[in-house]
Amino acid sequence: MFIAIVPAFNEEVHIAFVVRALLDYVDEVVVVDDASCDRTASFAQEAGATVLSHEINRGQGAALQTGHEYALYKGATYVIHFDGDGQLDVLDIPEAKRVLDFCGVDIVLGSRFLGKDANIPFVKRYVLFPLGHVVNRFFAGMHLTDVHNGFRLFRGHVLDKLVITHDGMAHATEILALVKHHGFSYQEIPIHVTYHEYGQGARGGFRIVKDLIFGKFLS
Amino acid sequence: MLVLFQILFVLFALGGAFGVVTKYKSGVLGTKGAIFWFCFWIVVIGAVIWPNGTAVVAGLFGIGRGADFVFYISIAVLFYIIFTLHIKIETVSRDMTRLVRDRALESKKK
Repeated sequence: MFIAIVPAFNEEVHIAFVVRALLDYVDEVVVVDDASCDRTASFAQEAGATVLSHEINRGQGAALQTGHEYALYKGATYVIHFDGDGQLDVLDIPEAKRVLDFCGVDIVLGSRFLGKDANIPFVKRYVLFPLGHVVNRFFAGMHLTDVHNGFRLFRGHVLDKLVITHDGMAHATEILALVKHHGFSYQEIPIHVTYHEYGQGARGGFRIVKDLIFGKFLS
Repeated sequence: MLVLFQILFVLFALGGAFGVVTKYKSGVLGTKGAIFWFCFWIVVIGAVIWPNGTAVVAGLFGIGRGADFVFYISIAVLFYIIFTLHIKIETVSRDMTRLVRDRALESKKK
């Protein structure tokens, strides 16, 4: 069984399109609605997704972990993380699955810097991402071409050990730290990203570092 | 003779000590916590009435002025309190996430 986990917060504009597109490639789409104020949940449901609703906004990391627990409950063999804002391309899924099976790795990670064109904003590409590389090196001990990419394909059994504790955006670094800690094999592949909006900026980056530091003091 | 500032501080500290006793009696504060905070307010009253007393303690730590000693200790204690509060908030936040997640999954697991 192939499950797509889509964390969503106020994504009524894109969510139905994303769900319908995903259903051509996966068996089930799970939209984790993180207490949206708009009609994200109803649009996702009408499009054919299974909707898990957070009653209080907890962040993208928390939403992904909710999806993980659902996927584990359903006994999924493949699980993919996919953004609900329509910036990722479902056409990258077959190639990711082919690499996962052909290379025999546990995880396939998407990268915007491995060949395919991406209209990445200047400050992100030349300031925030280089800083992100340093943070990832320090907290996760891994060097990837793309530090925070929402496109990740896992074998189902991996999720048992890949427990996300960071509710916010620091989950992206935490996932990599867990991959390294448990010795999971991984492969990066080029993916296509279309930017509709800027996303998190420098302030979000500082928050991630703060969360990672304080997270070190929690069990 | 006490100056106005000392009178106000002593009254404030007495209010704090009274609050500790009230909270202890109502069961909000435990015995250890009550003893710590009561002693804290007594020390504050002592330091306000006899400011030179802090200089004696400061001298033991190699700090020249009593006011500096109080300042350094206060900064250290405040940083510690902020840190522990932050950890506590993070812990509560994670507990809340667990509850929210359980409720979200509850209906689908039936």
